[in-house]
Amino acid sequence: MSDFINNLRDLNVGVMHPRDKTADALLRQIHRIGCGFESIWPIPSMLPENIDILFVDVDETSPLEIKPILSKHKGELPAIVAMIEYENPSVLEGLFEIKANAVITKPVRAAGVMSSILMARQFWSEQRRFDKEISKIRARLDNLQKLNDAKFILMRHHGIDDKDAYAIIRKQAMAKRVTTVEIAQSIINADGILRDFGKG
Amino acid sequence: MTKLDTWRVGILFSTSGVTSIIEKSQLNGALLAIDEINSAGGVRGRTIEPVAYDPGSVVKRYGELAERLIVDDKINVIFGCYMSSTRKEVLPIVERRNALFFYPTLYEGFEYSSNVMYGGATPNQNSVPLANYLMETFGKRIYFVGSDYIYPRESNRVMRNVIRQGGGEVVGEEYVPLTAGVARFKSVISNIQKVKPDAIFSTVVGQGCINFYSAYHKAGGRGIECPIASLTTNEGEIAEIGAEASVGHITAAPYFRSIDSEANRKFLDSYRNKFGTISDVTSCCEASYCQMHMFARALSECGELDTDALRDALLGMTFQAPQGEIKIDPDNNHTYLQSRIAIVDENGEFDIKNMVRHMIKPDPYLVYPEIDDWSLRTLEIAERHRSG
Repeated sequence: MSDFINNLRDLNVGVMHPRDKTADALLRQIHRIGCGFESIWPIPSMLPENIDILFVDVDETSPLEIKPILSKHKGELPAIVAMIEYENPSVLEGLFEIKANAVITKPVRAAGVMSSILMARQFWSEQRRFDKEISKIRARLDNLQKLNDAKFILMRHHGIDDKDAYAIIRKQAMAKRVTTVEIAQSIINADGILRDFGKG
Repeated sequence: MTKLDTWRVGILFSTSGVTSIIEKSQLNGALLAIDEINSAGGVRGRTIEPVAYDPGSVVKRYGELAERLIVDDKINVIFGCYMSSTRKEVLPIVERRNALFFYPTLYEGFEYSSNVMYGGATPNQNSVPLANYLMETFGKRIYFVGSDYIYPRESNRVMRNVIRQGGGEVVGEEYVPLTAGVARFKSVISNIQKVKPDAIFSTVVGQGCINFYSAYHKAGGRGIECPIASLTTNEGEIAEIGAEASVGHITAAPYFRSIDSEANRKFLDSYRNKFGTISDVTSCCEASYCQMHMFARALSECGELDTDALRDALLGMTFQAPQGEIKIDPDNNHTYLQSRIAIVDENGEFDIKNMVRHMIKPDPYLVYPEIDDWSLRTLEIAERHRSG
């Protein structure tokens, strides 16, 4: 069984919707499912902490109010489930504005709430994993580029080949107990300074 | 008496087809309650009139007949269904028409509708006590056999979790078609005999259940050595299987016919008077009986067959049932129930061995029950007064 389903009851769910029959039906179903829950209304200036899943009422104007709260939230944003009543283009555009991870339609039926919580949570965590992965890959690509640049500098100045250039960088890194990337960076810096210096 | 002078309720239990044994007992439970209510003067001076159709254990028919009851017969309170698949047919119809539907059957949970009153047990109310009992009494290697539909699969998922937590092991898992005959079970049983589990957990229902137990006995399987444990096999099936082939097998349920209590004696006497025998009284029959009585009490409170008014009257209602006290949980429309474990004796009667002391709150959305939940511990019942 997937962890998302097993750990469902550890989640805290916030409901940002006027306190009416819809909000009531949703809060009761979340209670039945067994998650922690709180009603967040009226729309606050700051999002409460420790919310894992946020149900948000989305109509043609509410994204204007909600977006700023989400963007100034410190720390990780919760997974977002939009609650919509109409499926017209301006409401649907709002789903993208607030970057909803899942959608439920109003009036809320008990069936579907659990799936939307799970889908939102799953997309949210996939997204987070992708973001992390991408920044890791980006950093690795940067480093690779630096090493290559440094190698070329050495090759040009000393008439050596790629392999020897790398061996020099590696030896320096080991002697100074720093990473090869740091050595590469200082070679690039030095080369820049010397070149400018030569120009006078 | 004209139609207008009665309270008409719809009833959808199959009296033919694969699940008819158990559904007939549910039908009888409902009819008995109606008789009792009517002979005590009805509700607000009017009698309850059942309008019953036989869906013939055909899944699609349940939905069609629910529609007919609501649209053609103008009835908005319906009792019925055994298998989850049949309930799922009725559910969208009662929701769309805002009718009230009573479902007196244990099922796998993960459902809530404001239009449904769930009268049977959810997995948290019986699975945990049964798993504990099996592992403590027989051992930790359990073999699963189930009919191939949603209830057995979900019920096994819950059971597997509980067994693993208790350090046990599921040593086999097989699903057979609902219509499986004796021949199909031969291969299942030969697999079981190869693996030699400590106990078998069966979620085979209907005629298949009878075929399974009979085939097991024929192949030399004995309840005393390696019992078949179940949440669904009750008095109706045991009567068909026969005492010889069912002795030693175990069932966990809120109700058994053998409960020794004043309320149960009254219920059984009344049942015997109406149907001539109590051989088919089961926990689902009792649930159906209780739900009809609770409905009647709600109706006498609000005086109209209005879904919203009836629901308001039902939520939180307690009832002195044959099994003991029960209560409709206002959080989720399911029912607080008793939990008992019984072993079939040499007369084919359930001998109640253990029970949980209080009625258990239903938790239909429980993904992962805890085996150590103290509130689900069963207590052994003393030999001398093995009452309910």
